[in-house]
Amino acid sequence: MLGSPLFGRLLKKVQMQGGARDEARDVLTCTSQRRASKPTPQMGLFQQPARFRLTVAAKQSLFGYAILLPTLAIILIFRFLPMLQAFYISLHEYDLIRPPRFIGLENFIDLLQDPLFLHSARISVAYVVFSCVPVWILALALAVLFNREIRAKNLFRSAAFMPVVMPAVVNAVVWTFMYHQDGVVNTILEWVGIDPIPWLRSSRWALWAIIIIGIWRATPYYMVIFLAGLQAIPNEYYEAAQIDGASPWGQFWHITLPLLRPTTLLVMVMSVIVAMKVFAVPLIMTGGGPADATRVLPLFIYQTAFEFFKMGRAAAMSVFLFVAVMLFTLFQIRLFSRGEN
Amino acid sequence: MGQRSSRRQWGLKYPLLIGVALIGLLPYYWMVACSFKTNDTMFAVPLQWLPDPINWSAYGTAWRAQDFTRYFLNSSVVALAITAGNLLLGSLAGYSLCKFRYFGRGPLFLLILSTMMLPLEVTMVPLFLTVKQLDWPNTYTGLIVPFLVEGFGVFLMRQYLQSIPNELIEAARIDGASELRIYAQIVMPLCKPALAALGVFTFRESWDMYIWPLIIVTKDSLRTVPLGISLFMSSFGTAWDQLMAIAAIGTLPMILLFFFLQRSFIQGIAITGIKE
Repeated sequence: MLGSPLFGRLLKKVQMQGGARDEARDVLTCTSQRRASKPTPQMGLFQQPARFRLTVAAKQSLFGYAILLPTLAIILIFRFLPMLQAFYISLHEYDLIRPPRFIGLENFIDLLQDPLFLHSARISVAYVVFSCVPVWILALALAVLFNREIRAKNLFRSAAFMPVVMPAVVNAVVWTFMYHQDGVVNTILEWVGIDPIPWLRSSRWALWAIIIIGIWRATPYYMVIFLAGLQAIPNEYYEAAQIDGASPWGQFWHITLPLLRPTTLLVMVMSVIVAMKVFAVPLIMTGGGPADATRVLPLFIYQTAFEFFKMGRAAAMSVFLFVAVMLFTLFQIRLFSRGEN
Repeated sequence: MGQRSSRRQWGLKYPLLIGVALIGLLPYYWMVACSFKTNDTMFAVPLQWLPDPINWSAYGTAWRAQDFTRYFLNSSVVALAITAGNLLLGSLAGYSLCKFRYFGRGPLFLLILSTMMLPLEVTMVPLFLTVKQLDWPNTYTGLIVPFLVEGFGVFLMRQYLQSIPNELIEAARIDGASELRIYAQIVMPLCKPALAALGVFTFRESWDMYIWPLIIVTKDSLRTVPLGISLFMSSFGTAWDQLMAIAAIGTLPMILLFFFLQRSFIQGIAITGIKE
């Protein structure tokens, strides 16, 4: 691929552009070697190496382009274009067999009137809210806990981290077994006097079952990120606060939380996006049931596309998901940057 | 810290830690314990915490029920190829975006960055159509190539490379080292921690990959471990001992990865929290 004529032509083009720009840059930045041999206009002899150096700079730019190219190609073909294509397909009716037929916004209008889709969107929102909020609180609490002096810290931290290590599919399989009517979850609940819950077989409980798994798996992940954030806070702040007689709670409220703001924002955005994508666990555990109680949006998109072969409709759903992800991210960034000012 | 406060911490901190550890480990313990139970004792009342009698056969039976040798091979090939791709392309792109100056560098970086948070679920339909047009369903190529590089890897490498002084690269250039050699023999050895973190992170993600193989693989000979496990569940859903056995085997590579490369494993996640 690198030897193709197209690439050669591209190289030439880039060389020309890059060369011109680098000339400008070299004049502006004036690298140290240049300063050493400072070419003066009247000394014709020095013109030669100066031009030579320009081509060196151009070669460097070229090398920069060349090593970026494979990444750029993959990102463009398999990430960026599909994203644009999703919008295009969403305006069509397409079942993989007959050619796509343009139908305008019909898919979107249909979706907004489709109770199944609205239900699915509600389920997704419920999943995101009820799994993410506990995750934020628990992950931060655990991070604060693990940031203290602890004996056998590594041992405890590894154990707490284990949920992240388990593959998603294994997670689904093992928890299905644990949620069995006579399984270990109900047994433990019985110890504290709670009657057995028909977790995955009841439309009332199935979503909660999946939310609990989501919390179990995500908490240690964000704990690690919070922990990295906590360790970046200088100890002097706490020492000063202690001298001023601030309580541990006051320290947390007035030092930890404000200084952790960027980390918190990142955790919030990431966790919500990851939760919006939940797929393997509901597909394997319930297939979206019982009575659609766990049909989250990604699952519905998958089923619409690859079980009912309505590609256009599925793409329209993807667009909704995309807009939701974008809006949410922007909203949270706005919220946090306003707080900072 | 006085005697009293440390004793009070003992009273609160350690029970809490033990509780957290138990919650983290319970599903693992249960998976392994039940893979050794018989179907009679699986749901015995009261619950059996230690399998008795021990049923040794589940692992062998489950392994042979489907072509798991093949699935493991497929998963290993796919995960290793994706990891290698991300290390190579991610580091090259990161190096380019961090240490070279050329037209359009900023916008290109933003373009790559913008795909970082893009869920596969959004692009799943068009991506499938693209891969179908390339005639890649049911091939390793289709499983590997779309994931050979991710925005995250590029971002991570670029961030890390910023800590490497430009003077070092300049000095190597003055000594006459070729650009490729500077990358391979000077810059990359300094990036080992970042490469390790990215490698472990990518391997874990690609071993875990489920939705994409589910969409493009229909041939048994190309199934990966997650597909094999979920298929096993839908075809032998009540053989819990075997299901737990196969789940345990499927988890083993991740556990090994975690124990041997724990630092990099955690680093890969912690780094996602470091912003510009």
